[in-house]
Parts: sequence; C-alpha cells; structure tokens
Amino acid sequence: MSLVLRNTIIALAITVALVLTVFFAIKYLNDARVAELHSIEDQLSLDTLSLDTQFSLLEAAPCGSVASSTDLTGELASLGDRLAYAEGQLGSGNAQVKGLKEQYSLLEIRDYLITKQLAAACGTHPVTVLYFYSNAGDCADCDRAGYALSYLRDTYPNLRVYSFDYNLDLGALSTLISLEKIKATLPAFVIDGTTTYGFTDLASLEAEFPKGVLSAPAASSTETTSAK
Amino acid sequence: MGLQALAYPFLFVAIFFEAFVLVTFLSKDARAARARKPARRDAPDLPSVAVIVPCWNEARTVGATVESLLALEYPAEKLEVVLVDNASSDDTPAVMARYAAHPQVTLLREEARGKHNAVNAGIRQCEAEIVGCLDADSFVEPSALLAMVPCFENPSIGATTAAMSVHEPGNLLQHMQNAEYIFGIARANALSVVHGIHVTPGPFSLYRRALVQSLGGFRAAYQTEDLEMALRLQRAGYKIANAPAARVYTKAPATVLKLVKQRTRWTSGYLRNVLNDYRDMVGSARYGALGAITLPLGMLAIGSGILLFALALYQVVHGLVEAVSLRAGIPLSYALAPHASFGWFYLPASLYTLLAALTVLIAAAMIVLGKRISRTPGSLTAGLFGYVLLYGLIAPLWLIRSTADVALGKTRAWR
Repeated sequence: MSLVLRNTIIALAITVALVLTVFFAIKYLNDARVAELHSIEDQLSLDTLSLDTQFSLLEAAPCGSVASSTDLTGELASLGDRLAYAEGQLGSGNAQVKGLKEQYSLLEIRDYLITKQLAAACGTHPVTVLYFYSNAGDCADCDRAGYALSYLRDTYPNLRVYSFDYNLDLGALSTLISLEKIKATLPAFVIDGTTTYGFTDLASLEAEFPKGVLSAPAASSTETTSAK
Repeated sequence: MGLQALAYPFLFVAIFFEAFVLVTFLSKDARAARARKPARRDAPDLPSVAVIVPCWNEARTVGATVESLLALEYPAEKLEVVLVDNASSDDTPAVMARYAAHPQVTLLREEARGKHNAVNAGIRQCEAEIVGCLDADSFVEPSALLAMVPCFENPSIGATTAAMSVHEPGNLLQHMQNAEYIFGIARANALSVVHGIHVTPGPFSLYRRALVQSLGGFRAAYQTEDLEMALRLQRAGYKIANAPAARVYTKAPATVLKLVKQRTRWTSGYLRNVLNDYRDMVGSARYGALGAITLPLGMLAIGSGILLFALALYQVVHGLVEAVSLRAGIPLSYALAPHASFGWFYLPASLYTLLAALTVLIAAAMIVLGKRISRTPGSLTAGLFGYVLLYGLIAPLWLIRSTADVALGKTRAWR
C-alpha cells in the first residue's frame, strides 16, 4: 500500500472520529441542557405546589403569611430564557423541548392563577401581562414584541409577564385562550385584563398599560403583597 | 442548522486535509526528511550552484539579498550569484553595479520583461549543476544551501524548496502572513514525502539546471512561473523535495491592498495553470499526493473559502439587521447594554462552530510544528493572533477577486 493511500485512510478515519466526537459532545451538551431544564422545572413544580398548598392552608389569612409568588415569577422568567435558548439550539420541533414548553406553560398558568387569587384575597392589584406569540413563521412582529416585553419586565420587575406559544397543543393553554377569547392574530396581549393585538412600537405598547403603572421603574411596585 | 449545513462538507474536507498533513508529518519518511544531515562545507562532491536573482525595480532590497547569498556557507568556487536586471527603471542597476567586481557575481540585463525571461537569461549564462532562484526581496540564512543540496543525492529529485518565513514582520498583517508561511513549512515538509508539493516558491528554490533546460526553461505561466515549473517537472516524472532546516526570509506586503494584489496573482495563476494546462493531473493517482490530494483540494479550498465567507457574511449582516430591528424604539441604555447570559448552559457550541474551531486549532498546531522544525526565530503570539483574527476575513477577498478574474478572463499587472 502506498504512503498516500495509507495516510489517506488514516486521515479519513481520524476525520470521521473527530466529527463524531464533536457530534456526540454537542448531543451530550444538549442532553445536559434538557436535564437542567427538567431539574429546574421539577423544582418549580414543587415550589408552585408548595405555594398553592400554603395558600390553601392559610386561606383564612393569606395576606399575613409568607405566601408570595414573586420569587417564583423571577425563576419562571429565568427558566423561560433558558427554554428559549434550548429551543433555538434544538429546534422548536424537538419532542423534549415541546414537552418542556408544555410543562413551563402549565407552571405559568398556575402562577398566574395564584397571583390572581392572592390579589383577590388581599385586595392588591398586580399588573399582569399575558403574551401570546407564535414562532411558526406566521408572526413577523413577535420577536420585537418579545424584546419590548423583556425590556418592560427588566425595567419594572414587579410587572408579571407570562408568555405563551399560541400553537402549543396543551389543554390548559387552550382553555386559557378560549377564556380570554384570544384570536389567532398575533402577537396578542392581555394587559391587566384588556386584550390587544399587534405590535408597532414600545410607546404604543406602553400606552396599553393602566396609567401610572409604568411611571416609576423598579423602585415602586405595581403589586403589593402581604410579604411587604 | 439551516444554511450552516452547506458548510459541513467543506469543513469535513478541511479537517481531512489537515489530518492528512499531520499524519504524513508524523510518518517515518517525514521524520527522516527532517533528520537529513546538511552537507559538509568541505565535502569534495558538493555540486556547483548558481543562484539567479531576477530584479525588477528592487533597488531597496537587492543589496541585502546579494549580501545574504555571498554569506552562504558554501565553497566560493562552487557558488555563483547571477543578478539579472529585468529592465528596471529605478536604481537597481546602480546597486547591482556595486558587485560588478565580485568574483562570484555575474551581472546581466534582460530587456524582455517578465520574471521568467530574467531567470532564463540567468540559466543560459551559467553552467552550474544546480540553479537556484531567489527573489530580490528575500534573504537566506548562511546554512540554507548546505541544508538543501543533500536532497539532490536522490536522482529523482528535480527541485528542492526551503523553509520560508516573513522578514522582520512589523504589523499584524505581516505577522499573520508569517504564521501562514510557517504553517506552509510544516505542510511542505509533510507533502514532500508523498510528492504533493505544487509550487517551488521564488524565495529560494533549487533545480537541476539540465532538467530545467531540457524542459524548455521557465514560462510566463500566468505570472506564476514557479508554480508552473513545479507542475511541469513533476509531470515529467521528477519529484520535489523540501529542506525545512533551510531558512529563507521574504518581505511581506504591509497593507491589505498590496496583499490582496499579490495573492490575486498567485491564486489566479494557480487556477489558470491547473484549469488550462495541467487539468489532466487533477485527480490522477499517477502524480502521487499532488494529483490525488493537493490539486483537487486546492481547487475545492478556493470554492469553499468563498462559500464559507459568503455564509458568514450573510449571517453577520442578517444578525445585525435583526438586532437593529429588534431594538428599534427601545431606550438605548437598555438596547446597547449586554444582556448575554453566562454559564455552561449558554455555551454557544454547535456542530458548525466546533468543527470550524477544530480546523483553526489543527492549523495552529501545524504553525507551532512548522516553527519548531525550521527553528524559525521570533515569537508566534502575534502571528497566531493575526492568523485566527484576520486570515478568514482577508483571504476571501483575493479568492473572490482571482476567481472573478479567471472567469472574466481579466489579467492584471504584476504590481
């Protein structure tokens, strides 16, 4: 066998080995990402259940308890960021991503309901935003709307933003969509109970918020919980 | 994935080529070539050598080039330096005239423009067994010739190349070229043992004079006479050796414009020679690694360089447009602030980025090896930095320009 042929075969074997190593390293990393998301979701499920139970136990005086979903909302946002990144890496069609998104949406709905219950019981008025988007290529303004909401959420930490993939096949989400009467004209927002469609710019979106809610960044809270 | 999938076959081939060079570099034959002892200065059977220096407006550097040749460790009676003024319009003739009385130096003037004409004029004038070419902006180490002549002990060797690096690299662009040249040292050492060298560079290559004359001397060859001669003598059944211990330094372009101009000439010359006159060698196992690997992958490298650059450019522009559109109307204090998340979870590792990083990593390893085997002096830090940072941005410019020139039949001036 000539040196050229021999070295060609060895080089090919090395190349295949290197490419496979990289391929499996990426797969390992993505599997670890999914495992991490599972772990965060499991913890959040526990926290949500704990909060829910705490709320039920202290139903008589929930406002004087430590019951608050504020921390959970922050963790939910962090989980949302990670999930969005994992979706970008693995693709929205990935079965694991889809499952995690369903679980995440359920957690969001649960947190939204608890927030509403606490508000009703304690007489507070937290401002919530339900944001419905699609990444199926049929929503040209969804990325911009999502970024604007991220800005509002980061600037006004007590603003509660819940993002939902409109096309997700999840019973609870379908129920929420029909309860809120959300049409498939995306992006759609439910801001403090009022539904609006479409996104032009940040100023127009801010105009949809109740007066005074967005006037004082961070320091003043739009929500008053019993913990305070 | 999307568009990036287009890049995978090219990245695979790039890694394969690097792996091939690395495997060959580590082979017994390459190790033996590196261990080849230089000839002794007092050896009685040293061949006579004539080094031809073709000069066209090289007044600034030719003096130092000649001095380096006269300082070669070689018996004076067996070493001749032939300076050929190729109708210069600057002070080159005056600088050359300073050596008129030197017993080892012959001065010639060749009116017919073209480096090949100048070299052929020099060859016609000498009777040495071995003729060498040295560009008038290049300088040899004193030990270079003694390191190269033992290669000709093998009668099938028609030419020998040296280990070329950049003379006193000043700016980052020159350091980048230095790293690239040093990569070339390791590559040439490896490819020489499988007969895969496709060019005998102007900065110090040696040839059997009788062979060059029997082949009809140098040709214009689309302004790449060194590449054409390398292909022609291999088509005639001869091989090209490499002496990594023979150090030669050459001036490198200091600006992007000059570099692109130089490399456009090289690349379009490569394309024209291979496509027009040596197409039969591409893919032919008869010519060893030259036909089976170097020439076909060289063509592929030009195409893939353009494609990968276009792909990266599209992604960068698309990303910028998206980023600007996303941030429109958002206060600048937020839009411009970094919101990147850190930690292993957000590691931007994809098959595309890791394979691309792998090719750069292997290239960096080859650069380090090239420096080591040639004992090229100086630090590699700036070179590696420049190579990783700039090469991928600048090389596509000459690849695109030369491909367009060949497609449109356009020829450019030498300088």
